[in-house]
Amino acid sequence: MATRAPNLSSHLLYRSILSKPPTAAGFPKILHQHHLSSPYYSSAFPTEPPYPPTESEILSAALSRVLDHGFTSRALSLGATDAGYLEVSANLFPRREFEIVLYHLVRERMRLGERVQFAEEGGGRTVGARRLGVGEKIQSLVMGRLRANVEVGVQGRWGEAIALMAVPSNVPPSLQELARLADEIWYLSGDTSVDGSWYTKRASLASVYAASEVFMTQDQSTDYKDTEQFVEDRLRDVQTVGSWIGNTVEWVGYTGWAGVNLLRSKGFRI
Amino acid sequence: MLLPSLTKRSASQLPYLHQYQLPVFDFLAPCLATRISQSPRLHFSTSRRRRRAEVQSTDNGSLQATSPKVKTALSDEQRKFLESALRVNQAGELAATLIYTAQTPPIVKAHPHLRPLMKHMYDQEAGHFSTFNNLLAKHRIRPTAMYPVWQFAATALGWTTGIMGREAAMACTEAVETEIGEHYNTQVRVLLGWLEETEKKGEEVPEEMRELVEQIRKIRDEELEHLDHAVGEDAKEARPYELLTSVIRGGCRGAIWISERV
Repeated sequence: MATRAPNLSSHLLYRSILSKPPTAAGFPKILHQHHLSSPYYSSAFPTEPPYPPTESEILSAALSRVLDHGFTSRALSLGATDAGYLEVSANLFPRREFEIVLYHLVRERMRLGERVQFAEEGGGRTVGARRLGVGEKIQSLVMGRLRANVEVGVQGRWGEAIALMAVPSNVPPSLQELARLADEIWYLSGDTSVDGSWYTKRASLASVYAASEVFMTQDQSTDYKDTEQFVEDRLRDVQTVGSWIGNTVEWVGYTGWAGVNLLRSKGFRI
Repeated sequence: MLLPSLTKRSASQLPYLHQYQLPVFDFLAPCLATRISQSPRLHFSTSRRRRRAEVQSTDNGSLQATSPKVKTALSDEQRKFLESALRVNQAGELAATLIYTAQTPPIVKAHPHLRPLMKHMYDQEAGHFSTFNNLLAKHRIRPTAMYPVWQFAATALGWTTGIMGREAAMACTEAVETEIGEHYNTQVRVLLGWLEETEKKGEEVPEEMRELVEQIRKIRDEELEHLDHAVGEDAKEARPYELLTSVIRGGCRGAIWISERV
């Protein structure tokens, strides 16, 4: 008895150390500072990778397990094993399965530029030979990003991911990532306007994207034809509303100045 | 029976635990080590020569750090400074173009000889505005969220001072350009400090940074030239001079403070 007791207790101690998710200040900090946005983007200065190598390996291995096991802790543990680490390394990720979702979102956002390329830039998957308008580019970028879920093999489980993103504590990082995706799409489409429309453009695109993503989880059509139609329709709606507002503002401004000039011509000192 | 007391003992008192702990934490070591070496980022300097790795998508698409190389890097604080500085500059030039646009018709009507001066100042401001627009688009910096508010405020300010007369309009220019000149001066000083430190370490200064300093310097000189024109056109004769300039300067400082943040 006396000889066995230390062994058993050490086993228990060991288990209690490992089974607790790491809540010490160090861990989450190390993990999550990578998701910070980097203001002042510049090609002249190197940018840090969003995930350190170890985490990247585990998470991308976990992603390939998602089709079978869903966005679950199980997939994360299997991913750790596949990448050649101990199963308990899954404890590295305090947000557990949501971390897989976030990793997928970040990775696909950063790969979008390679996935969808336009004719004038040359190379890659070109869309048509003529110059595309910004609207068409936006549409093919949105579809390209949606199809990435299919190509990575997580589309069948994407409903689970949406449910995870809707968990209250996961909402802020999910929205942030959605905003970055919208910004990335506008950037890749070649839009360079930096005026008051900057915010409305991104907000409306983000809402269209989120709606399309939900629609796509229910889409049974061949090659997601229905989703494509849905995206096209929603983008057209947004464009119509946007141009209506733009025209109204322009008309009010024009009429206002015409009135001021009329008064000036009558001798008012304004 | 011994269990409760034993489980309360710390891991270090049980030497054989080390063989379990090692395999658990050793794969963390490289990750922790690089993190720690980069963590103290709380001051404005490029003095630490940091090893950065570039993002590269490997064949399987995972985001990994590859071949670290030494290159002058911007710290997070420097990026944030550049982001807010360029955003404020764009907002300022937007306001300047709108102030001159609104001032020009009443001023030129009352004093036709000022037409070339107003046009010259407006053209320069429009040039500055497009410079900063391009910089914002290039570096993917969001414009200030107060954009429509500044549009309205600047037009109102320009129009009011324009109607008040030549002296008031020039006092407005004087007040605005004084604030803006100081603001650009601070930026140039900070940027030159960075360049100097980088050179002292023997690292290469990116062409982009030198260009930026030159652009801001040139723009500052032009703004100060407007200040001289304004003083030359009797800005000091405006009534009530003190009240007018101090209100406008306070407004400028407030607008800069807000635009740096949102």
